[in-house]
Amino acid sequence: MYFIIPTGRSIMRFLAAGFALINIQAFAQITPEEISVETMPAPGANWFISKTGNGGYIFDATTGEMQGLLSLSRYTPAVTAYAPRREFYAAESYLSRGVYGDRTDIVAIYDFDNLSPIAEIEIPNHMARLAVRAHMGLMNDGRHLAVLNMNPGHSVSIIDVLDRVFVYEASTPGCAVIMPVADSDFLQVCGDGTLQLIQLDLSGFEENRERSGVFFNVIEDPIFDRATRSADGWYLISHAGNIFEVTTDDDEINISDGWNVQPEGEEGWRPGSRAEFITAHRDLGLIYVIMHEGGVDTHHENGSEIWVLDATTRRRVHRLELESPASSIMVTQEAEPKLIVAGDGTHVFDAITFVHERSIETPGADHFEDL
Amino acid sequence: MNIEKIIDRTYYWIDENTRRTSLALARKLSRRNFLSRLGMLLAGAAAFPLLPVARSFAQNSIQEIGDPQSCEYWRYCAMSGTLCSCCGGSYTSCPPGAEPSPITWVGTCRNPVDGRNYLMSYNDCCGKAVCSRCGCHNTEGDRPVYFNSNSSTVLWCFGTENTSYHCTVSMVLGATDE
Repeated sequence: MYFIIPTGRSIMRFLAAGFALINIQAFAQITPEEISVETMPAPGANWFISKTGNGGYIFDATTGEMQGLLSLSRYTPAVTAYAPRREFYAAESYLSRGVYGDRTDIVAIYDFDNLSPIAEIEIPNHMARLAVRAHMGLMNDGRHLAVLNMNPGHSVSIIDVLDRVFVYEASTPGCAVIMPVADSDFLQVCGDGTLQLIQLDLSGFEENRERSGVFFNVIEDPIFDRATRSADGWYLISHAGNIFEVTTDDDEINISDGWNVQPEGEEGWRPGSRAEFITAHRDLGLIYVIMHEGGVDTHHENGSEIWVLDATTRRRVHRLELESPASSIMVTQEAEPKLIVAGDGTHVFDAITFVHERSIETPGADHFEDL
Repeated sequence: MNIEKIIDRTYYWIDENTRRTSLALARKLSRRNFLSRLGMLLAGAAAFPLLPVARSFAQNSIQEIGDPQSCEYWRYCAMSGTLCSCCGGSYTSCPPGAEPSPITWVGTCRNPVDGRNYLMSYNDCCGKAVCSRCGCHNTEGDRPVYFNSNSSTVLWCFGTENTSYHCTVSMVLGATDE
């Protein structure tokens, strides 16, 4: 007489056989799932793009949910949307072997539904390749896109995004930044302390060029190359915190008197950061500026506070203290706007009550784009 | 044949060749063409020493202090980028295989050893992946992109075969009190 003593291996075989039976039964009861692909719905209120080094992450600021990704080149200065055609436009630059090889600069066009490239237009390989929002601008009539070049002299490539053709390259020595005004014009800031207005004709070629009088000194107190739209034009700000509103009337350039963001006794504070530190709600006339304590030449220091300014009364209405220094901000243009802040993570604030609503996990954002 | 005859014949040979060459040139070229080419030569010769690339070779030895792998090193007062001295190069040399950009931005930095201010040229080294070591962003005298000679945030890989950014060196062009 003998006993069969189960070994460890035989116990395992027995259990495996039992699980296999259970699994077959489980599969028999459930319909196998099929993979599907989402289509992006029409952008809702307070949707925005978080433009990063590898693409544009689209979020709903109200829920914090990500909606999809635009894959962009690492050299893309900015991406912008044009709702009437349901398209996104981005200037991109590629090297055929990643870090060497043939360079190809393009304007890529993406559709709203799939965030996929649907067309591309080759442009001169002169793009400035810096993540600056105002290095690319869609004219207000939605027909022509302007892309800033550096080679190392400044020029601007004009692209017809409706007919999908490159139009021409305008030489703009000493002037950079693209600020669309009127239907098909744009303003630039120039190193001699002036503004330049370039007016395009229906085909996108330069029809007229005007220069303003000198209103700042680039050595004493330069105007930043970061700007934001106002109700009628653009707000510019200097290293020392002087704000100017610039508008046009046909071929006339109007520059408001400058006013300083610093109340008396708080001269130690300065505007600035490494990215887009000024934004404005156009209907409410509120300007939001990232501020830090520092001296001359600290203009790229990220800020510990956001100052909210009333453009009409030219007075500060709020100081928002931040838990971590901010590099980039954008206010959405809705009636109940959100203030999106990049620093240590991406944070959403109510832009009127300044209550922190949520933090969103995103890779480091260069800047944000309202949708 | 004495030495005087040899000298005379040499002079004759030189004179004759010069005469023939001048005549040949005169037949081929107009006077205006000759003057324009001579003018270009003189202007080029005068401008050559002014080029930053040429001036950088003219520097004398400078007393150094500090750690070239630290962003606080005196030469880096207007530096933005990653330090080539941390990437297989030095503060004046690109790492192996990288291509120096001949076009640069400039700054003025004070050397604490001799108390003199030096005009600095910041050259990007290009054609390789970015060397993500020793990132440095100092903004003394930095100006916006529209004033690009003093703008450190620009990608300065111009005039190179490949335009990708690798790291940055800092060259002394001269003392500002010279």
